[in-house]
Amino acid sequence: ENVDPQKTAFVLRKAWTLYSVTPLYRFHRGRLRDYARLLSAFIAAEKQKGLAVEVGVELDIKVAVSSLADLRGSEQDQAAVLVQLSLRSRASSRNSEDKLVWSGWFCSVYGDDLSENMPEDFTCLPLFLTHGAESYTSVVGSWFQKTFDCCFRRLAISPLNLSWMVAMWAGCKLDRAASAVELVFSIPHLSQPLDISYAIHPEDAKALWDTVQKTPGEITQEEVDVFMDCLYAHFHRHFKIHLSAAKLVKVSTAVASAHCDGIVKILHSQYLPGVLMLLTELAISQIQ
Amino acid sequence: MDETVAEYIRRTVLKIPRDEIKTMLQKWGFLSEAQLQTLNFHQIKDNISQEVVQLCEENSADIKQAAVLDIIYNHIYQNKRMWSVYQMKKTGEEWEYFDITDFKKKFKGRLRSALKNVTITFKEYEDNAIWIRVAWGTPYKKPNQYKPSYVVYHSQTPYVFISASVLKSNLPLLCQALIVASNYHDIREMELRSHSLNSLKDIVFKRYSQNFQTYYPKPLQGGNVEPESADIRIVRENRSEKERIHRLNREVFGSGPQPKLEFAQYKLETMFKSDPKMGVLDKKEPFRCLVKFSSPHLLESLKSLAPAGMADAPLSPLLTCIPHKARNYFKIREKKGLFPENFVSP
Repeated sequence: ENVDPQKTAFVLRKAWTLYSVTPLYRFHRGRLRDYARLLSAFIAAEKQKGLAVEVGVELDIKVAVSSLADLRGSEQDQAAVLVQLSLRSRASSRNSEDKLVWSGWFCSVYGDDLSENMPEDFTCLPLFLTHGAESYTSVVGSWFQKTFDCCFRRLAISPLNLSWMVAMWAGCKLDRAASAVELVFSIPHLSQPLDISYAIHPEDAKALWDTVQKTPGEITQEEVDVFMDCLYAHFHRHFKIHLSAAKLVKVSTAVASAHCDGIVKILHSQYLPGVLMLLTELAISQIQ
Repeated sequence: MDETVAEYIRRTVLKIPRDEIKTMLQKWGFLSEAQLQTLNFHQIKDNISQEVVQLCEENSADIKQAAVLDIIYNHIYQNKRMWSVYQMKKTGEEWEYFDITDFKKKFKGRLRSALKNVTITFKEYEDNAIWIRVAWGTPYKKPNQYKPSYVVYHSQTPYVFISASVLKSNLPLLCQALIVASNYHDIREMELRSHSLNSLKDIVFKRYSQNFQTYYPKPLQGGNVEPESADIRIVRENRSEKERIHRLNREVFGSGPQPKLEFAQYKLETMFKSDPKMGVLDKKEPFRCLVKFSSPHLLESLKSLAPAGMADAPLSPLLTCIPHKARNYFKIREKKGLFPENFVSP
């Protein structure tokens, strides 16, 4: 797939908070400009009510809504929709550039499971990613909910899914020197909580995964389990601690990092489609 | 009064929580009791600090006095800083009488001969701790009072606790001045770091309760698992196992409170071993890992792992050796020879 790296550059190296979104009712791609205007008016009204945003009265919020044809998996997927909020100071309107304060985008990468039997009036973009203040997320979310009768939910990532991610990403081939494969565990219910960071040299982690994975291009649950068991066993050999009983809260590799609260950071454009596909799948399971 | 000194005093006072300001100024002793009475401590801190600066102006405070106030602040809030431990070595075993005046003179002399612009301040505390504050400059710039290094030296011991400033390049000079002043011939950094200065002292001065090899002829009644239930129908599972774990924990950790450390770090360069049936990695090179444990109170946390079922008892010696090896940074390599299961920590 020829993805224009410039169009997708904004995705990389930012921490995105994840949500699942139910299908949007009567969303028309031709009306993006109208939506931007309506959302802008909504935000202004919320501000007047004293809710939401923390900016002063002097600042204007400019809304832009655009369609990103490059961010999708197959032709069956809807193209991604990007919403951007910028701040323009009324005082120095000539010289100052607009400052981007919040971005959120809806996408679907190989989301056929959801869109397959969906009636025409519905647009399936099950994954929603945001970057910026929570107050803006809340306002934008409210508007979409009211306008398109959809429902947002924070997307938590279970330890099971985190271990899939770390196994997959540890096996990715990277041309540059890679950062460590790190797993962060938490044991909160002790008299004094304990956090354990287990970071493995990326070459060694990849070497381990390469011997575990039997069929290239395919990953099974069993292979992920073996990979994790190996890491747990190596740890136990040294420290006599059962890491499998601790809670896996975050995984971090040179490809991407993910936190159980539903926050991801994607570092490598080459694997962007793969990561989005996995996240789309998670979002769809949460909806269904 | 120099305006940089005024600004420094103002910022130092601003750091202090409002309720503590009066006590700290009293400890400082630079302003008279009468002057302190004129201060209104019920206004916002900005105003309090301005008033303090004005009083200091009346007394013509200079940087030396301001530095003492800074030491007092850092002595009380010592846990905000990260401390490293250094051990000094003597050639002979002769015990020399420690002369504090001589120490100060030699320390200042060594530093000033290398660096003209430096502010050196001493303060002695009741527990035989000598606090030293050093603000570093360059041949062309006055000392940066906002990034000083702090040294805590107990003269009866070979240990020095250093909270270096960001300017790490001055560390060798600081170490040199210390050994010259204290009549030692060498100094090395230990692999031991923590925010809790007292815990570091507990560890190197062996002030915590250690495990003693005591023979218990029968299981101890006290400090044990939950009390007996009156209802005989309720039977505790694995009671002997739970008691075994508690006994082992006590043997290893002792029964007193543990020194407070926040983290331990292990650089592992050991081989990856697995069941050959699994058909996984069988390299001849080490499986390189970096493991870091963090907790508000690490040793208490580790102690509670086995009773919680999260770890085997006894816990690995890699973890339990932290207090008596006086280190929380380790590099672990495979031990060659007969017993490949054992680890070597250089």
